[in-house]
Amino acid sequence: MLTEGVSLIDSRSDRVVMEPNATYWNPARKPTVRIVYDNVIGKDAGIESVASGDGRVDVVFDLTPAEAKAFPQSDKGKIQTKKAKTILTGVFNENKPDSVWRDPAVRRALNLAVDRHFVLDQGAHGYGTVIPAFIQPGRYGADPGMSPLPHDPEAARAVLERAGLGGREVVIVASPSWQGVVAAIGQCLSRIGLSARFVSDRGDPPEDFDIKLEWYFDWTPQYPVACVHREFFGKDATLRQGPEDPEFDALYDKLLHTPEPQTEAVVREVERYIQDRSKALFLYSPFTLFAVSDRVAFTPYDTCMSELAETRIKG
Amino acid sequence: MDAQATGDPGGGKAWGPHNTVTVVDPSPVNWLSITWNTMEEANRVDHDGIGQPSLAESWQWLDGETLELKMRDAVYQDGEPFDAAMFKLGFDKVQEWTNPHPPGAFLNFARDVTCEAVDERTIRMRFPGGDSAALMKLRGMHLPSTRFWNEWGFVDPKTGSAEGHW
Repeated sequence: MLTEGVSLIDSRSDRVVMEPNATYWNPARKPTVRIVYDNVIGKDAGIESVASGDGRVDVVFDLTPAEAKAFPQSDKGKIQTKKAKTILTGVFNENKPDSVWRDPAVRRALNLAVDRHFVLDQGAHGYGTVIPAFIQPGRYGADPGMSPLPHDPEAARAVLERAGLGGREVVIVASPSWQGVVAAIGQCLSRIGLSARFVSDRGDPPEDFDIKLEWYFDWTPQYPVACVHREFFGKDATLRQGPEDPEFDALYDKLLHTPEPQTEAVVREVERYIQDRSKALFLYSPFTLFAVSDRVAFTPYDTCMSELAETRIKG
Repeated sequence: MDAQATGDPGGGKAWGPHNTVTVVDPSPVNWLSITWNTMEEANRVDHDGIGQPSLAESWQWLDGETLELKMRDAVYQDGEPFDAAMFKLGFDKVQEWTNPHPPGAFLNFARDVTCEAVDERTIRMRFPGGDSAALMKLRGMHLPSTRFWNEWGFVDPKTGSAEGHW
């Protein structure tokens, strides 16, 4: 239970403290420790604290691949990874009626130009899993018959040149956390005569950008389309960069009105639809990355939430 | 705030570094993590990403539009018993608002959804036309005690509104 502090959407107190509920009904999730969220020390100092074992911080959430890679050898703490329900994907800028990215063949060509395994290895130190579309293989709604789009630079070059994109600089807006990913995409594009330019999403992006990289996560109990796919393509999407898509909206409506035991088939239909139409630049599912003190047994969640009921002090 | 102010039944446990875990969470959805650490819902999602019963111990669709949930025998930390009436209270509270959930309207129950406490442990919800997203929506419907609703609630004291504050 919360005993000190607040965490709101737009502000947080310096500390948020939670203490175990002594009468909680579920022994498997009954916390044994007091949790303190330190909202002052900062991420960099928190990572240093875990590595040094100075006792100020036990767990730091949401490390970037670069931060995880740079974590020093230490017998006091380590990097912990989790194959969470995440995606890193490129949203094509289809806002202008004459945008080349409104053509599914051109979107597919850019997908064919990108070697996802290379991007993951070079741009994110391998912290992730290449996936076909928005759902990881083996998860609810994943289609076992789907594979990631192939890497076929020559096929990509032909289509992109026909679309007038030969030699073009592709402007990619992204968080600074993903600058390495944009650089790796640029290396892929350079093999077919194109290039990529990183533009930070801190501030107003240029109106004429080509792609915006978005990280997103699924917190739902087996209902990924509402949380993730809808957020990118639905009529009420906040991440959509183009016109509404009545075909997607019809699929979503079909899902909502399908009896729950039969919904997985519709989720697979949505996955196939977004890949068939190359609705995004599909990249990979990033691991969530944590710096964790050796004194703590930390249980990360696939939902990316910092739920801490099972986290214990060792010994 | 001292422990008594939150209804802590006490126990005299001394908190110190030996039983404290300190975390740094820069996530922009930290507010949601705090909520899910300190509140409970009918269902939850476990660390492997799979939906699980929580304050509802089971549920079943009686037909394409009717969801029946069996509530768990549990007690809030302030001593108040949890029962089907508390679920109904949580439903009535969230339905007072047009867009209570920060992530968006996709979490809203339609206005014609009804909720009935059939007995102390049984809830029957009716979704005209069906809604396969019902359990996802229940994950976002918090079920705090009467004291929470009376003393805090989700209403922003500055605006008097709970829109976007659930």
